[in-house]
Amino acid sequence: MSPKIFASIAVVITGIVLLYGISDFPTFGDPRSPANSGVEGGAPSTSLYYINESYGVTKVPNLVTSVLADYRGYDTMFETVVVLAAGMAIFAILRSTTKDDETVAGPARKSSIDGDHNRIIVGMTCRLAVPVVQIFALYVVAHGHYSPGGGFQGGVMLGASFILIALAGNLDDALGRFSEKSYMALASLGIIIYAGFGVVPQVLGKNFLDFGVLQKILLTDGPEMARSHSMLGVEIGVALTVMSIMFAIFANLSSRGTLKGGL
Amino acid sequence: MLEQLPALILLAPLFGALLIGLIGLHDRRACFPIAFTALIISLASAIGAAMRAFTGGAYNYFIGGWEEPLGIGIVLRVDALNGLLLIAIAVVAVLAVIFTIRPSSEKDTDKTAYFYILFLLLCVGLFGITITGDAFNLFVLIEVSALTSYGLVAIGTSRRCKMAAFHYLLMGTVGASFYLLGVGYLYLKTGSLNMQDINTILTTNATVAQSPAIVTAFILILVGIWIKMAFFPLYGWLPNAYSYSPSGSSCLLAPLMTKVSVYVMIRVMLSLFGLEWVFGHPGWSDLVVWLAVIAILAGSIMALAQREIKRMLCYLIVAEIGYMVGGAWLNDPNLWGLTGASYHILADAMMTLCLFLFAGILFKYHGVSEIGDLGGMFKKMPITSIGFIVGALAMIGVPPTCGFFSKFYLIRGGIEGGHPEYVAALLISSLVNAVLFFRIFEIAYFGKNPAAGHSHDHGHDDHDSHDHDDPGDAVTTAARPMREAPVYALIPLLAAAALIILVGIFNGQIIELIRLTFEIPATVVSNLR
Repeated sequence: MSPKIFASIAVVITGIVLLYGISDFPTFGDPRSPANSGVEGGAPSTSLYYINESYGVTKVPNLVTSVLADYRGYDTMFETVVVLAAGMAIFAILRSTTKDDETVAGPARKSSIDGDHNRIIVGMTCRLAVPVVQIFALYVVAHGHYSPGGGFQGGVMLGASFILIALAGNLDDALGRFSEKSYMALASLGIIIYAGFGVVPQVLGKNFLDFGVLQKILLTDGPEMARSHSMLGVEIGVALTVMSIMFAIFANLSSRGTLKGGL
Repeated sequence: MLEQLPALILLAPLFGALLIGLIGLHDRRACFPIAFTALIISLASAIGAAMRAFTGGAYNYFIGGWEEPLGIGIVLRVDALNGLLLIAIAVVAVLAVIFTIRPSSEKDTDKTAYFYILFLLLCVGLFGITITGDAFNLFVLIEVSALTSYGLVAIGTSRRCKMAAFHYLLMGTVGASFYLLGVGYLYLKTGSLNMQDINTILTTNATVAQSPAIVTAFILILVGIWIKMAFFPLYGWLPNAYSYSPSGSSCLLAPLMTKVSVYVMIRVMLSLFGLEWVFGHPGWSDLVVWLAVIAILAGSIMALAQREIKRMLCYLIVAEIGYMVGGAWLNDPNLWGLTGASYHILADAMMTLCLFLFAGILFKYHGVSEIGDLGGMFKKMPITSIGFIVGALAMIGVPPTCGFFSKFYLIRGGIEGGHPEYVAALLISSLVNAVLFFRIFEIAYFGKNPAAGHSHDHGHDDHDSHDHDDPGDAVTTAARPMREAPVYALIPLLAAAALIILVGIFNGQIIELIRLTFEIPATVVSNLR
């Protein structure tokens, strides 16, 4: 019997189990479904709590951000750690500093966006696009608690702006602006900022990530605004890590871990 | 500060990893001291946090101070069961990190900093899985530990370990996805992610508890965890991942990853769905115990067929997973099976650590990986041999090692729960272990020392043995003459051996603590000894 038969059987069984499970799902968009309004016998519904109370407690109009960065900020911190861990695993596999691949760097160097007249259109477009992308990325990070956006999205855009430089010119252009030393440092620094917003409240005698107590340091009007500002702080941390790891993964993959030449 | 200890257990290795990220790339000599200090802080906090649970009962730590209403934030929950496991994880991590010190003759490689970052982040993930009281947070930390362990397997220089890591990645991702899908189903029916809250709903609200979606959620979660712990038909990734990975990695991965997954299964049965719900479904218990019997027998038989030490140990892990899953599902009236399974998590972590350290020492310092090459070991490496003998006797189940007591409780559970097939499988597996290890004893005691030259004639061609490389250890592949391993390799081995005996001697106290978690009437607990 070929392994495919086993695979097919496993798929069919899984499908049957999943179909059996959805047989008594609440209808789509039902406001009285357990996820929306809680269940008899359990704690009061968290969804209703978030909708009714979270603005008053955190002064963040975007409920998604307040759940993501404050109520469940511990999860988000580890999601950022997942990004870091993925990056570290990739570097551990790919990164090599042996000198064998020097030759790749030679001819590729010509096509730099700095003063290369053969690629003036690409270079110029890139020069114009990158600052716009980066400013928009900063807006997405900074405005994450008012509108859709936040650290992950903004960080991806920032990382993409460096990847654009590497694609338009070559990897050395991008690495000249964002070196291995700085992206490794920023990747760690991002989570240090995030976890720092958690540890400082501990020093002040509250629990990990209890942003409210930071009003003593941030000099805000009350704990609500301290939470709001802290969410901005942790979003910045997330953005730094995501940006660095995004670019670093690209740099390592495109140059087979040598960080020279590249595409 | 004492009430902050549960958070500190994770934060110490997290900040250690970040600190290595900041400075470790420039100064590789800083990596080990940072990692060691971080893990020692974790160990101290774990002991402190667990002591509070031992004396004062289970308690919650609300992240961000979000207490009311229950479930809006994330809660860490320490009770006696996971308190013990937290200490065990910290102990194993400290001993495994000591083993990664390299001899002064070997140079650091490019990968040293990455190795320690992944090592510490894996510890963060394992601590987090163990301590959390939130079903979704558990998934996030499973991801942290999974990604780091793929990296730790792939960090070796050979091609084989990369393939093993890729296989592991595919299986691990499937497992984690099943778990996540299960949590999604659970959330749809209960509207909560907090374990305590879900448990209350399932025990009080019968319509929710009996709905097909909840049953599906349980099956999905269970299968997901089974893939993660390499339960028998789903074990395919384990032997390659653990035997091809560098010794420094496998000494952390092998004792902890599968054991923490078993803990997750017990936690899901005990605190998420509740034992009454789980065993309220007729036939499930029998089915899983039979699966476990097959796992035990298959693992033992496959272990018999192996010539490499590490691979043999890997198949023994498959059998041990069968012990624990079967024990947890015995459904005997006094829960001796579940008690034995929980105790065996600790015992097996120590035994696996001890034996993998032994295999690591042999490979790292002597280039030996096959059982046939062990001739004359007892004479040449007496101290290493002592550690190995203790680990082997524990695997066989000789008193006063912990392996004897876990089998004792598991067999008691099997008899009281009416599962003679499980008892028989346990005894057969012990017998197989005895055969396996006495065969090694014989070779090590009477065999000739093969270091003189024929050590490479064992079917491995040269290319293959090149592959079997360590990033941390820059091993030369030729078997070197056997002599005693350096002190920093012997310390963790002997400490692990001592712990095997200590966990065995203090089994009464440990069992009592474990049974605190099960809320069994006091009369049963007092009948313990």
